[in-house]
Amino acid sequence: MTSAGNQEVGQPSAVIRDQIREFVRDSLASPKGIASFTDTESLTENGVVDSLGIFRLVSFLEDTFGTRISDEEITAQNLSSIELIEQLVVSKQQK
Amino acid sequence: MRARLLPNRIRETMAYILQQLLSKSAALYPDKMAVWAREKSLTYRELDERSNQLAHLLRQNGLKKGDRVGLYFPKAVESIVCMFAVLKAGGVYVPLDPQAPTDRIAYIISNCGIRILLTNYEKRQGLDAGTLQALDLCVLTDQTPKASNGAHVIPWTMLAEFPTMEPTAVELTEIDLAYILYTSGSTGRPKGVMLSHQNALTFVEWCAATFQVRSEDRLSNHAPLHFDLSVFDVYNAIEAGATVYLVTEDMALFPTTLAGFIESKQITIWYSVPSALILLLLHANLKPEKLPHLRTILFAGEVFPMKYLRLLAELLPAVELYNLYGPTETNVCTYFRVERERLAGMDKLPIGKACANTEVFAVNDQDEVVTVPGETGELFVRGPAVTYGYWADAEKTQKMVVPNRFQRHFEEKMYRTGDLVMLGEDGYYYFLGRRDSMIKSRGYRIELGEIESALLSHPGVREAAAVAIPDELVGNRIKAIVAPHDSQSLKSVDLQHYCSLRIPKYMIPEIIEFCPDLPKTSTGKIDRVQLVRSAMPVAS
Repeated sequence: MTSAGNQEVGQPSAVIRDQIREFVRDSLASPKGIASFTDTESLTENGVVDSLGIFRLVSFLEDTFGTRISDEEITAQNLSSIELIEQLVVSKQQK
Repeated sequence: MRARLLPNRIRETMAYILQQLLSKSAALYPDKMAVWAREKSLTYRELDERSNQLAHLLRQNGLKKGDRVGLYFPKAVESIVCMFAVLKAGGVYVPLDPQAPTDRIAYIISNCGIRILLTNYEKRQGLDAGTLQALDLCVLTDQTPKASNGAHVIPWTMLAEFPTMEPTAVELTEIDLAYILYTSGSTGRPKGVMLSHQNALTFVEWCAATFQVRSEDRLSNHAPLHFDLSVFDVYNAIEAGATVYLVTEDMALFPTTLAGFIESKQITIWYSVPSALILLLLHANLKPEKLPHLRTILFAGEVFPMKYLRLLAELLPAVELYNLYGPTETNVCTYFRVERERLAGMDKLPIGKACANTEVFAVNDQDEVVTVPGETGELFVRGPAVTYGYWADAEKTQKMVVPNRFQRHFEEKMYRTGDLVMLGEDGYYYFLGRRDSMIKSRGYRIELGEIESALLSHPGVREAAAVAIPDELVGNRIKAIVAPHDSQSLKSVDLQHYCSLRIPKYMIPEIIEFCPDLPKTSTGKIDRVQLVRSAMPVAS
């Protein structure tokens, strides 16, 4: 379950964070005209992520990090900032 | 005060202005929870008293009958206090989208002459100096008393210094305005739909009778407050002495969180756009045994794809489902109670028949009222639910709120919806499409012209067209085709950023394609048919 994707298990979290930030910036924030955001900023409050964006983000995480994210895990606690998303991915890779 | 002393008389009186709904319920159910949001709640007594205090504050600070007051902060229990306070003070409230670009907010504030803004510290900080200069007063719903450049600023804590009894009545009648809802305008600026107490109450009374809202009910409020779906949630809850639970913007994004909310708050009546229900269906693992209290689901704002509606009907067999239809200008004007036994054989969901105290009819190209099943025409609406028109826009009003030429004996107005409908064999109307370039996405009304005009205002853009790509989940996605002055320098991210300062996020084109020239028809107009055709395969 953890090694199905194209990433090695135990990848440094800084690299994971960069990949997440890049996807969120290019695919979710830029098309909405949002130029910058911090790693701890709430992506739901600043409007970067909308109801469709959530599922694009989840697909990206599943495809890139070879992990499966269940509907129950799609919550604000797991996905509302770059930092929280990184923590989710890291915790899933450690399992 | 009157309410407290004379509950029986209040109960017998039919409400003709919206705030009477609260007076009545506050007298009958003072200790019952009226509104809940963000882990805070207010009882009917608290809602009544706090809105009285704010009404006094507003009156003492210069609010006059008919003045427009902006509501500009994320949903909270204070939102409902503010709505009733403005009405009690004799004003007209204007809910402003807290997520809209400040440029659009500034336009609305100036368009309808808002001088008093009920806001919070952060939202006020975002406004430009010119807008702040034009305001006489800001009441902050959070506690921060600082920041006083421009308008006079009053913190929420000041409410405590005002009397809790109802302010001496301002002479209002049902034909006075209650609120103005701004929606997308084809000429590039939003337009303000004026709604009177009578407009709103016509709808509220029909809902109360049709859906039998009772004081034990718990209603959700999923739609934003600047969206007319929220009129039902708020006023029908208050009318019945029920409780309304406000779904905040961040909660609405997470289907399992939302399902957990419906379960834990034991919501009995849910009202939203279909796309919100579809997300719940697909991603929330809904279980009927977890939602034993849910009895009615209302949806409106866009077409519900049949395959998802069948899924919903099967999943929640005991819940009554209603399709409501109506532009903001009429609130809801037709409805259809989903007949489960017919669902399997239906390929299209009807918008139904007219609500009580409302008449609808279709007019064909020969200018005759459609009476034969299978015939199509544009839908017209008459009755007390129909708006007077658009704030400070006589031209647009004359185009849409027109004399009823089928009425020969006296003068009256009717609303032309711009929606093409068919009269079905079953006697119900069926929505076919639009006469103009208005589209819906996630239930939001979007004029493609407003997007085009935002794009065209960019100095690098020579020609621009916005087209809708039909999408099962959200109704439509938006693509723009742009012919730049200089093909080298313009990037789609820059244009998207430029748009974000002018139009709401749900209107920003997801895809922007560049071409040297837009295709033209033989008469030299932009060839929309070709653009739409070539846009189709892009849908993902």
